[in-house]
Amino acid sequence: MATPPVDSLPRETKVEAVASETKKAAAKQSLHYKLVITLYRVFAIVVLYLVLGGIVIYAFVMGFYAVNSSWAAPVILSAADEKSLDFREKLVTSQQTIEDLKVDTKKLDSGVAEMKKHRAALLALEPELQAAIVREQTHNQTAGPELATLDKQKLADNVTTQKVLAELNEVESNVNKDLAAGLITQGDAATQLVALNQAKDAYTDNKIAEVLLTDSVLDKTTIGTSSLNVLVKQAELRSEVAQLDVAINVAEKQLQEETRQVDRLHQAITTAKQSPYYLNAVGGQTLYFAFVPYDNRANAVGGSAVYDCYLNMILCRKVGTVKQIFPGEEQAIHPIFKTQIRGFLIQMNLDHAESAKSKTVFLGRKPVLF
Amino acid sequence: MAPILFWLILVLCLLISVVKYLMGIIMRLSFPGTKAKKDYTYEPTVSVLMPCFNEGKTVYETIESISKSNYPNDKFEVIAQDDCSVDDSYEWMLKAQRDFTNIRVRTGRNEVNSGKARSVCNALQLSTAEIIISIDSDCIFHPQAIRELTACFAEPRMGSVGGRVGVRNPNDSVITAIQTVVYYSAFELYKIPENWTRSVCCISGCLFAIRRELLLEIEPAIRARNWFGIPVNQGEDRFLTHQTLLRGYGTYINNDALCWTTVPTTLSVLFKQQLRWRRSIVRDFFFTLKTLPQHVWKLHPNTVLTLVLTPVGALVGFLVVVTALTSDPLAWAGPIPLITALAIGAVLTWVIKKYSAKEAVTHPLAFGAYVAWSLVSSLFLTPLALCTMDSADWGTRTKEQQEVSLGNATS
Repeated sequence: MATPPVDSLPRETKVEAVASETKKAAAKQSLHYKLVITLYRVFAIVVLYLVLGGIVIYAFVMGFYAVNSSWAAPVILSAADEKSLDFREKLVTSQQTIEDLKVDTKKLDSGVAEMKKHRAALLALEPELQAAIVREQTHNQTAGPELATLDKQKLADNVTTQKVLAELNEVESNVNKDLAAGLITQGDAATQLVALNQAKDAYTDNKIAEVLLTDSVLDKTTIGTSSLNVLVKQAELRSEVAQLDVAINVAEKQLQEETRQVDRLHQAITTAKQSPYYLNAVGGQTLYFAFVPYDNRANAVGGSAVYDCYLNMILCRKVGTVKQIFPGEEQAIHPIFKTQIRGFLIQMNLDHAESAKSKTVFLGRKPVLF
Repeated sequence: MAPILFWLILVLCLLISVVKYLMGIIMRLSFPGTKAKKDYTYEPTVSVLMPCFNEGKTVYETIESISKSNYPNDKFEVIAQDDCSVDDSYEWMLKAQRDFTNIRVRTGRNEVNSGKARSVCNALQLSTAEIIISIDSDCIFHPQAIRELTACFAEPRMGSVGGRVGVRNPNDSVITAIQTVVYYSAFELYKIPENWTRSVCCISGCLFAIRRELLLEIEPAIRARNWFGIPVNQGEDRFLTHQTLLRGYGTYINNDALCWTTVPTTLSVLFKQQLRWRRSIVRDFFFTLKTLPQHVWKLHPNTVLTLVLTPVGALVGFLVVVTALTSDPLAWAGPIPLITALAIGAVLTWVIKKYSAKEAVTHPLAFGAYVAWSLVSSLFLTPLALCTMDSADWGTRTKEQQEVSLGNATS
C-alpha cells in the first residue's frame, strides 16, 4: 500500500507530520552535537594531559639539570675548526718569535761580552794613571821647594852679578883708555873685552835660567794646565766606563727579558700542546671532547665511565671513558638553561661515535637508576 | 616559511598592543576627535538592569550607589534580576527596594539558574526605557555615571556606550595591585584608539549602556547562543559589543562614566576569571573568522584588526612563551622583564595616584609580579580555554558553592 501524499492528509495529521519531522531533525542535530562534543572532549582531555605531561617533564628536566652534577656536553671539533686553526697559527707565530728572540739574545750576549772587555781595559788604565799622578805629585812636593830655594839663590846671585857687571863697565872703559894710551896691546884689549862680554853673556844666561827656574817652581808648586789635562783624561776614562756600565746593564736586562720571554713562550707552547684545540689541529683521527662545568668537576676523573642516555636522562648505556682533562678554562652555553657557564674540556674515548652528537652525556655513573 | 609567519604575526600582535598604548597616549593628549560629543541635556528614560547571583549584601550597596545618581529620578529605574541565588541576595534586593524609595526599584527572579546574559534578557522584559544599562551587581557607581553614559547617545549612530571600571580594592594584595594598573591602562590608553573610530571591541559588562531597540534586536541571538548545543552564558559583554558593531552602530567607552568593582584577591579566583574571559575571546575569534567577509565589508579596518589580532596575540603569546622556555628558559627571570615591568608600574601608579587617587596603589613594586603572571597567563590560559569551550561554569562562583548553599537553604 502506497503512502498517501501529505497534502491529501487531514490537517491534524499534517501538523503531526511536521512536528515529527522537526523532532527528528532536532534529534538528529542533537545527536550530531553530542558526537562533536564527545569528540571535542576526548581531544581536549588528550591535549590537556599532553600539555600537563609536557609541563611536568619540562619541570622535571629543569629540576634535574639544576641539581645534577655529572653531566657533560659533548663538543665536536672539526679539523677546520676556527679555534683550532687560530691555535695552530698562533703556535707557528710563537715558534717564529722564539727563533727571532734567540738570535737577538745571541747578538746581545756577544755585545755585552765586548763591552765588558772594553770596560776591563779601561779600568786597567785607571790605576796606572792614578799612580802616575801620585808619583808626579810626590816628586813635585820634593822638587818644588828645592827649586824655590834655588830660585831665590839664583836671584841673589844674579843681583850680585849685576853689581859686578856695573863695575865691568868701568873696567871696559879703563881697557879702552889703556888701549888708547897704548898701555896694552890691542890683542890684550880684545881679550879683555871678550872676557867682559862673556861675563855679560853669562849674566843674561843666568837671568834666563832664573826665569826658567821660576817657571819650574811654578809648575812644581801649583796645578798647571798639564796637570789639568791629566785630570781631564782621568775623568773621560771614568765617564767612558760609566757609559759602558749603563749600556751593559741595559743589554743585560734586555737579555734577561728576552730570555724570560723565550721561557714564557716555551711554557705557552708546552701548555698549548696540552690543549684540545692543538690535539684537534694536529691529530689525524677524530677526537671526542666534552665540556664539563666547574660544578661537575668532581665527576670528571680520568678513566671514569661515560654514559649516554636515550631519553635525555633515562635508559643509559656506557659509551666510553674519560681519557684526559684539559686545564684551560672554557665558556659554553648551558645545553638546557641556555645561560653562559664556565668549565673545562675533557677528552673522551668513545666506543659509540654517535654519542658525541648527544646533547649531554653523564660521567661516572648513570644519572638515574636505569 | 612557518617561522617567518610566526614572527610576522608576533610583530603584528606586538604592534597592536604596544602601538595602541602609545597611540592612546598621543590621542588622549592631542586628538579631541577621540572623545564623543556629549549632550547632557539629552535625558532619555533609562533602565538599569542588574542581574545578580550570590552577591549577598553587595547588591544592596550597588543599588544604593545607583539611587544616588545625578539623573532625574522619574527617568530611570533599577530592575534587579536574581538568578536563583542560594544566599540572601534576593532579600537584600527587596530591602533595597524598600529603602531607596526615591527611585523605582523592581525585582525579579529567574525560574532556573540561567546565567548573566539570559538574566539580562529576562530583566529586559520588564523594561520600557529608551536606554538600557546593564551593570554588575558587585560594582559601585559614580553619581554621574548614568548621565555620562546617556549623554554619549546624542550621537545618532552610537549603539553602545561603556564606562570606565576602576578597582575598589587596589591594595588588598599584590594581585589586586596588578589588576588596578592593568585596568587603568586598558581603559585610559588601550581603548582610546578604538574610541577614535567608535569601534570599541569589548565594552565591560560592569557598566554597559545600549539602545533598547538594538538590545531587543540582539536579544534572540543572546538567548540562542550555544556551543554545539551547550548554552553559552559567558562573555555577553563582548558578544553584545560585537553584535552592535556588526549592525552598523558605534561603540564607545566614556571614561568619565565611572564604576568600581571588587577584583579577585587570590590567584585561583583571578585565574578562573581570566580563563572565562579568555574563553570569550576565543569564542569571539571563531565567530569573527566564521563571518570574516561580513566584518571586512562592514567594519572599520581598525576594528577588524583588533578583533582578529587580539585573540591571535593570545595564541601567539602561548607559542612565544613555549619557544622562550625551550630555547632560553631563564630569560624571563632576567632583569630586563622585571625592570621593564617595574618601570611601567612606577609610571602608571604615579599617574593613577595623580588622576584617580581612589585607586592609588600603595606598593608600586607589586607590579613586578606581573612578569610571573604574564608567563602563567600566556602559558596556561589559552590552551585551557581552547580545551574547555564546553564549560558553562562561571568560574568565580562555583557549582559546589551553589550546591552546598542550596542544601543549607533547603534545610
